[in-house]
Amino acid sequence: MTRDEYQQSLADLRADVLSMGDLVGSRLGRALTALSTVDEAAARAVAGADDDVDRRYLALESTCIRLLAQQQPVAGDLRFVASSFKILTDLERVGDLAVNLAQYTLAADRKRFEEVDLSTIGDLAREMLDDAMTAYRTDDADLCRAVAERDDELDTLCQRASERVVRELIEREVDEGDTWAVEELLDDVSRLLLIVRDLERVGDHAVNIAARTLYMVESDPALV
Amino acid sequence: MSNSQRTHSQSQTRTRTTGSDQPLETTSGETVEETRAEWVEYDFQGEAKMVAEDLDVHYGDDHALKGVSMEIPEKSVTALIGPSGCGKSTYLRCLNRMNDRINAARVDGSVRLDGKEIYQDGINLVELRKRVGMVFQSPNPFPKSIRDNISYGPRKHGDIETGLLARLLGRDDSDAERELVERALKQAALWDEVHDRLDDNALGLSGGQQQRLCIARCLSVDPEVILMDEPASALDPIATAKIEDLIHDLAKEYTVVIVTHNMQQAARISDQTAVFLTGGQLVEYGDTDQIFENPRSQRVEDYISGKFG
Repeated sequence: MTRDEYQQSLADLRADVLSMGDLVGSRLGRALTALSTVDEAAARAVAGADDDVDRRYLALESTCIRLLAQQQPVAGDLRFVASSFKILTDLERVGDLAVNLAQYTLAADRKRFEEVDLSTIGDLAREMLDDAMTAYRTDDADLCRAVAERDDELDTLCQRASERVVRELIEREVDEGDTWAVEELLDDVSRLLLIVRDLERVGDHAVNIAARTLYMVESDPALV
Repeated sequence: MSNSQRTHSQSQTRTRTTGSDQPLETTSGETVEETRAEWVEYDFQGEAKMVAEDLDVHYGDDHALKGVSMEIPEKSVTALIGPSGCGKSTYLRCLNRMNDRINAARVDGSVRLDGKEIYQDGINLVELRKRVGMVFQSPNPFPKSIRDNISYGPRKHGDIETGLLARLLGRDDSDAERELVERALKQAALWDEVHDRLDDNALGLSGGQQQRLCIARCLSVDPEVILMDEPASALDPIATAKIEDLIHDLAKEYTVVIVTHNMQQAARISDQTAVFLTGGQLVEYGDTDQIFENPRSQRVEDYISGKFG
């Protein structure tokens, strides 16, 4: 084996991306818990501190650029660095979405739409993210495809939830004279729709990560 | 003219192992079994300019090239890469029978140029090397003027005649010579740098200029294939970039085959890449994009990633 330092820096990059994945995953998990338990303190903790994720993102992006410039990786190494570079962006975006979710929690009146099962949607999105990162860690092409397949399930759940909220909005009788009540309802509805949309996006980022991982492992761009 | 022998005896008994990626060497580096290249089936667009089949080269007892079959597409750049001693230069030299000049060399197998066997009796080697020109690692201009370096070949071939004798015999190709020198130097991207000193000694040029002069000299006899054996390895990055640009341009008109140790160079300038590994075997041949992004052979992946070699 030659180029020991280079090989070590590739291994370090993978470990660092996984560590960032853990961080983002745990922030998403805390945001989801805060959402389902309406825990304002927990939500505030997630909403307040995304700097850590952003810092890691920028540092690892620099690492990738430096590897490309100085080591000119090819073949499997090239696919690994290129995929990691893309995956970092998805992780950073999931970090942003966790912040969004926490902020909605702080602002929303969850009692109004209790029948919308956000935790099932959130759990599914989180599982997809975890599976995608597991696939990245273990070079598991089958798991990449499985993540992509679950996206349809998530999309369906999200669509049903959105329809339910909108239908309720249409059917609900609101005293039109009560302007304050109308405004409040509209705020809650739009917030809830945004939550659903953001959870769907978490799933999309998980699919992106799985797609780049599949390319990395098998040079198969099928999911990209 | 030639000290080499040529036989066909071995080509019938060889077995193909295309598609397998089994290691051919033990950890101690001994060759376990002679096999054919692993991933050499290459479907390319267009016509093959040169075709090598079951090519074996021995230098005395040393089996330098083992059963290489490879088609070279016309008007494109084919890069040959691999560690030292892998046979890539040996293969290159087979394409215009330069190995004939090495007494101990024995070449078995077939090489065809436009469908015609070049390893057959009666081939005019001068004519062959005019059609299949060569540029070497170290620039080797003649110790003559820049102009004479270019016109030397065409004079030798009788394509142009100048001077007192020619004039006495009623022939003077001075204009043709001027045009030829200018065209070759322009093709080699050297004209702008030397047009006002064509009578200067070529050895006064920089290394990069000398190498482009050698390419111009090669072009002056109107070749069809240009073989380059590490043409930029002795040059600085700027001169290298000029040579690489030149190779890119030449491939519009000529078939270029280049041996390089610089893998990034192969990735930058070639359309297809052939990877030779220790033991004189062609291990993988394919589109350059594919070789550097997703090689099929693990040994090739390890080699181009710098994991051995």
